[in-house]
Amino acid sequence: MKRHTLLRGVFGSLLLLTPVLVFAAGSLDGTEGQQAINPTAITMFLLFVAFTLYITWWASKATTTSSTFYNAGGQISGAQNGLAIAGDFMSAASFLGITGLMYVGGFDGLILSLGAFGAWPVLMFLFAKRVRNLGSFTFIDVISQRLDRNPIRVVTAFSTILIVIMYLIAQMVGAGKLIQLLFGLPYEVALLLVSGLVLAYVAFGGMLATTWVQIIKAGLLLTGVTLIAILLLADSGFSISNLLGKATANHPKGAAILSSGVIFDDPVQILTIQISMLFGTVGLPHILMRLFTVPDMRQAKLSAYYASLFIGYFYIALLVLGFGSIAYVAGAPEFFDAGGKLIGGSNMAAIHVATAMGGDILTGFMSAVCFATILAVVAGLTLSGAAAISHDVYAEVLKKGKPDAATELRLTRISVFVIGLAAVLLGIAFQEENIAFIATIPMVVSASVTFPILFLSLFWGGFTTRGAIVGAGVGLVSSIILIVLGPQVWVSVLGHEEAWFPYDYPALFTMPLSVMVMVWVSKSDRSARAVVDRDNYEKLLVRSEFGQSEMTAAEA
Amino acid sequence: MTDGSIEAVRRKTRLRLTFTGVHLLLYFSFTLNWTAWGTVLGDRLGATQVTGSLLMFVLLVCIFIVLETIFLVISQRSER
Repeated sequence: MKRHTLLRGVFGSLLLLTPVLVFAAGSLDGTEGQQAINPTAITMFLLFVAFTLYITWWASKATTTSSTFYNAGGQISGAQNGLAIAGDFMSAASFLGITGLMYVGGFDGLILSLGAFGAWPVLMFLFAKRVRNLGSFTFIDVISQRLDRNPIRVVTAFSTILIVIMYLIAQMVGAGKLIQLLFGLPYEVALLLVSGLVLAYVAFGGMLATTWVQIIKAGLLLTGVTLIAILLLADSGFSISNLLGKATANHPKGAAILSSGVIFDDPVQILTIQISMLFGTVGLPHILMRLFTVPDMRQAKLSAYYASLFIGYFYIALLVLGFGSIAYVAGAPEFFDAGGKLIGGSNMAAIHVATAMGGDILTGFMSAVCFATILAVVAGLTLSGAAAISHDVYAEVLKKGKPDAATELRLTRISVFVIGLAAVLLGIAFQEENIAFIATIPMVVSASVTFPILFLSLFWGGFTTRGAIVGAGVGLVSSIILIVLGPQVWVSVLGHEEAWFPYDYPALFTMPLSVMVMVWVSKSDRSARAVVDRDNYEKLLVRSEFGQSEMTAAEA
Repeated sequence: MTDGSIEAVRRKTRLRLTFTGVHLLLYFSFTLNWTAWGTVLGDRLGATQVTGSLLMFVLLVCIFIVLETIFLVISQRSER
């Protein structure tokens, strides 16, 4: 029973990290509850909103073409973009979810930190430069330069929209619950507020406003965790050993929390989480889209590098916060209800440790940062979904790459409103549902469909359109089937006693399957198109490393 | 498009795959913590509360960043 409860919490936190805030999935050993209205939090949040709306107004004057809308005109510097990528990725979910998981299981919670961080070096080594050199607005531009553009765009745009919608549902449900908890606002009002602000940022300010919202939010989040970490260490005589000692003294598992085994004991479970986190993150469309906001390939590499620095620093700071939450929250009666349960559940451990260290002001600041974080992540997702519809499907497939610019921009803005409306309606529809499986889908599909297609397009000469489409289909279907047969749907939703498939994240199995099918079908493909696909490779390879301008110069 | 440029791209591809391979090897080595081979990682370092597992986490984050720095420097040199 204890283990079942723990795992529910673990997966609640995994969802948090994807980044999803699914308090509906239940929290560990705590109670759902609502914080008292915090005027500091509301004031700080209103300041953030006022400032970001001003930025949106400023950005809207520059957002007059599709190019400025999708990629901010490619004028963001590497350092700015690195911070924006970090802002897109370091969600409230990471902050609350990982700290909460460490509060429960100590060291085991760090698997999520390393899993998430590990993606950034891969993005830099494999994709940053090549994707930037080959694409315009989305990663689909990259693969359609080599493979048959119409079918491959339709398939990858479908997977992008699926990832974005699933991600958005989970985000909106989590956001509604979190804001209800932190600010005392009704769930529906919270959804409308998030959606309204995101629509304003994205529809009027496009990528430029979204980028600056993410930069500001990343700066605030890094400031907040730094402040809490310094206060925790200061109170422990600036000795991490003292802090860990206080944590072990407060935790029922004692010194066991300093090494593995409190939550996880199956190395295969660890491997499948690592694969889902790493390859899933690298293939996320809204992360890849950020590579096009910089002026050149060098800045694209620098973006990934700076993102790693910020995200690496963030996760090391979370190590201090995680153990600090055990040391300063676990033994403090003010954070527990009459039944002895942690107020708000373990996902609130990060906010409680802020209260323990900095009182109402730091609590208010961190609550406002969490809200800002949700806005930044939802804005990035909405923009990515709108680009898949208006650029990849309308402009490139329906209009064969020659759309009317004004119509494309208008369609993009309409897509943003439709996605925003759908997000609110789906958020309300799934309010009372156990949506854990919905939050799992984006990472697994991204690892099993997007990553293999992008990787093989850029690194294997034998890859063909047919291989990509069949492999993507196998990756998608196997991911959905194994998630349904896994504990999140088979047990938690359908109520069966035992799952057919034991792991929540099946990417360890679906990603290799998808790659093998892509390779096998491509190797056996004797079609005329396959010859073109293979012949395109060397030209694509040179352009991916040297850029279009140098290719043109060489050919001249 | 010359043979020279294709060879240069192949060299860069080998570099990319080598760095990725080293990174993935280190990344998946973290799983050792949950296996019998990694039991020693659970031991404390001297008189401190810090365990080998915690040190491994911090070192891996730092090593990944160092790997990226080296990759960036090598790439920039080869582009000059």
